[in-house]
Amino acid sequence: MESRQAPDPVSPPGPDLGELLTLVARGDQVAFETVYDRVAPAVFGLVLRVLRDAAQSEEVAQEALLEVWRTAGRFDPARGQALAWVMTIAHRRAVDRVRSERAAAEREARAASTADPPRADEVAETVESSLEAERVRRCLDGLTGAQRESITLAYYSGLSYPQVASALGVALGTVKTRIRDGLRRLRDCLGVMW
Amino acid sequence: MVRIPRLLSWRTGHALAGPYALDALDPAERARYERHLRRCSTCPAEVRGFAAVAASLGLAAAATPPPALKGRVLADVAALDAARSADAEIAALLSAADARVASAATSAGGTATVVASRRGGTMVFTSSGLPVLPPESVYELWFIGSAGVRPAGLVPTPDPDSAAAVLVLASGLSRDDAVGVTVEPAGGTSAPTTTPIVVLTPR
Repeated sequence: MESRQAPDPVSPPGPDLGELLTLVARGDQVAFETVYDRVAPAVFGLVLRVLRDAAQSEEVAQEALLEVWRTAGRFDPARGQALAWVMTIAHRRAVDRVRSERAAAEREARAASTADPPRADEVAETVESSLEAERVRRCLDGLTGAQRESITLAYYSGLSYPQVASALGVALGTVKTRIRDGLRRLRDCLGVMW
Repeated sequence: MVRIPRLLSWRTGHALAGPYALDALDPAERARYERHLRRCSTCPAEVRGFAAVAASLGLAAAATPPPALKGRVLADVAALDAARSADAEIAALLSAADARVASAATSAGGTATVVASRRGGTMVFTSSGLPVLPPESVYELWFIGSAGVRPAGLVPTPDPDSAAAVLVLASGLSRDDAVGVTVEPAGGTSAPTTTPIVVLTPR
């Protein structure tokens, strides 16, 4: 399958994030500052959503942004969008932290009660990408409840898919199928270029 | 406790694209899936699409970061960059064709070592076992030669929690310079006020 070149979903005017990362890889601190301004709200917001603790989120967001600086040379435009690359770093760090922080049982109990997609009041804080949030919420609404629950437990609560399966009391295969079908539907709904 | 088969079947591997894109695999399973990904012709495209969806989910959670975060991140970046430049210069010096080493015990205790490149006009100073000075004093380095005695930098107090050696990089070394070390008031001085505890001449 061929990848279509497309700008990141909500790119503001100015240099492309991928081009900026190329400059950052060469040690360009000015370019990095632009990258910071562009991605910090998304990085911090995502980490906060997963960790639900402002102080810890600040620390993990800082680590993730420094990783962007250190590893910018590894970003490969052929393998995906620049923003997706940054968000993967942020999400992985948040998930690593949440998994090392809490015992599985406690986490699952907590996650089960917080599995909803972003709520209107939370999204209202997001100045930078409120349109994107609206779009995502609309697309999440288009999933079956089971698909939405599996995806949000995994992504926003940082559960592994076996933990999702045990939190929901369903088979592993069922969770994998729900996640895959849900992501396919979201991909079509969001019109993601890839 | 969930048991995960050691080898992923082709079919199972395919089905893990979703959990993989959401970071919902444990590290061992993630590594296995990444191996599968390299041999699978259709998986990379699916993973790329799912990763873009995940990025949108992340973006939907965007929130204004605390204003102080930016200053901290940029300061860390500047420090990392400075360390990287210094490391690169030290590596270049250590591998220079004309790099020469001199090492000797100091009169205060411990050993001082200098690696110098006359052609590059640079040197690296390091030490082991130098007595820790009280806060009001510092070890200062000097270039000593026909061009006079010139300050070559201060030796930072070693981090007690770190086993890493303190390296001081200095440039401005002339062809006939030796390198001396004195104990000076904190902050250093522009000319030595005490007798050197060691003088090294790399050749």
